[in-house]
Amino acid sequence: MTTTFVWLAIVIYIVIALFIAFLSRHGSHTNMDGYFLGNRKLNGFVSALSYSATTYSAFMLVGLAGLTYSGGVGALGFELIYLIGVSLVAFFGPRFWLAGKKYGYVTPSEMLGDRYQNKMVAIVVSLTSCLFLIPYSAVQLSGVGYLLQGVTDNAIPFTTGVLLATILAIIYSYIAGIRSVAWTDSLQALFMVVTSTIVVFIIINRLGGFDGFFHTLETERSELLTVPGNGYFSFTTFLGLTIPWFFFSLSNPQVSQRLFMPASLKSLRTMLMGFLAFGFIYTLVSVIWGFTASLQFPDLANADLATPTLLSSDFVPPILGVIVMVGIMAAAISTIDSILLTLSSLFARDVYRNVKNNTSDQMQLRVGKLVIPVIALLAFLFAQLELNLIAVLSVASSAGLLVVVPAIIGTFFWKGGTAAGVLTSVIVGAFLVIMLEISQVKPLGLASGIWGLLVSTILFVFVSLFTKAPEEKASEFLGYIKELLKRKP
Amino acid sequence: MTSSERKWALVILVIVLSAYILPYTILTNEATWYGSFLLWTVLTLIIIGVNYFITRDWSK
Repeated sequence: MTTTFVWLAIVIYIVIALFIAFLSRHGSHTNMDGYFLGNRKLNGFVSALSYSATTYSAFMLVGLAGLTYSGGVGALGFELIYLIGVSLVAFFGPRFWLAGKKYGYVTPSEMLGDRYQNKMVAIVVSLTSCLFLIPYSAVQLSGVGYLLQGVTDNAIPFTTGVLLATILAIIYSYIAGIRSVAWTDSLQALFMVVTSTIVVFIIINRLGGFDGFFHTLETERSELLTVPGNGYFSFTTFLGLTIPWFFFSLSNPQVSQRLFMPASLKSLRTMLMGFLAFGFIYTLVSVIWGFTASLQFPDLANADLATPTLLSSDFVPPILGVIVMVGIMAAAISTIDSILLTLSSLFARDVYRNVKNNTSDQMQLRVGKLVIPVIALLAFLFAQLELNLIAVLSVASSAGLLVVVPAIIGTFFWKGGTAAGVLTSVIVGAFLVIMLEISQVKPLGLASGIWGLLVSTILFVFVSLFTKAPEEKASEFLGYIKELLKRKP
Repeated sequence: MTSSERKWALVILVIVLSAYILPYTILTNEATWYGSFLLWTVLTLIIIGVNYFITRDWSK
């Protein structure tokens, strides 16, 4: 791919995205609700696309294709089990939404703090999210750097790519808060899914249609069609990968915060169904890319090269290759800007407001806006430094955030849950996951996330049993939700 | 949990268990497109249908 071509595509993408971001500026975004939740008035279609763009980072088309390249069909099982796990939204979605509307929660950790009647709960849960998600964003930024460097043969240096992604993520969040993020996300999600699906049709056509494609796969690389197949996806590896992702829709604040935003339950429904359809198509597309690469280029040094190699091969017309490459960059940015916005709302709402008493909504918003570039700068520096610890925390992010899940389930389903239970389970659980990841130890062959979830569940239940629950709040909170769900329209 | 939610949760649990167990047992030597590839795809489509039904009355 020529560098001029790549730059031209990037410039066109930026112009269109900025145009959309500016168009989204209608409505009030001068308070916390407006800036971070779009006044809880997001329509279903935008919610669905934005949820998709936020969830699916550059990981899909590069990482999942690579995982298919190395391990075969198990990668499909892994990603579809994640998608099946999004059914949790059908149960927790209306509960989050109703509670958010009644009590005015801006962040999921604020909800936990109020429900368990303890400020430290909100502070600790939000800081845990920052601990794992800032490194995760850093790795996404590095991804953009490597991608641009790779496809232009070093003509666009690593730092330029990282800087570009950082600046764009800040701009998209700044223009109108969640509104500009949601609208640019939607554009990017549509762009990603349409272009990557076109590539699938082109390559399947070149390989003799679906019949020819699967026939070649069955005869030449049959080990890729079963698990454990070539041994990559042993059952314990599969469990270790899928369990953290199964709970992703609850554990990751940048997506669970989305449950507060839709304008109505009907919009929430559109968001869920739209996302499931999007995820289904996008997963199949990424896996087919991986299969194709394993048929055509079986000897790559590194599985992450599967997508770049496919895109720059003569299978894909050069213009389409460049467009899809920009789409992958957009996928990374649309994940980073949402995380950036969510983390700054967590900091302003759960840390700043609880540490400094009597802060006004305006002050919180000012702090939130101030924190956006600070978090972005941290992620940028982490991406530059390429520290081992950052990579570890990033890999551990889905496992590490899992330790909050027992507390979230307890919020809606267990009156006996206590603040002490939440604090012990989150702090000890997160520490355990980090230690296991640093030492690379897998007790009984099971990955860190499974241990984190197990230990945090046991601690949450046991410590809660021996401490006093906020009975009045729990009864009022659960009673309200039960009442409304019963007469759910 | 409402009683209809409990019913659906059970259906989802059965699907999730099938998604873990079947590929590693009866389909582990079925190296064709109608092995694990088809199973996971079909289970996901069923789940999309289940979600459609769970959320059917979220009209307001």
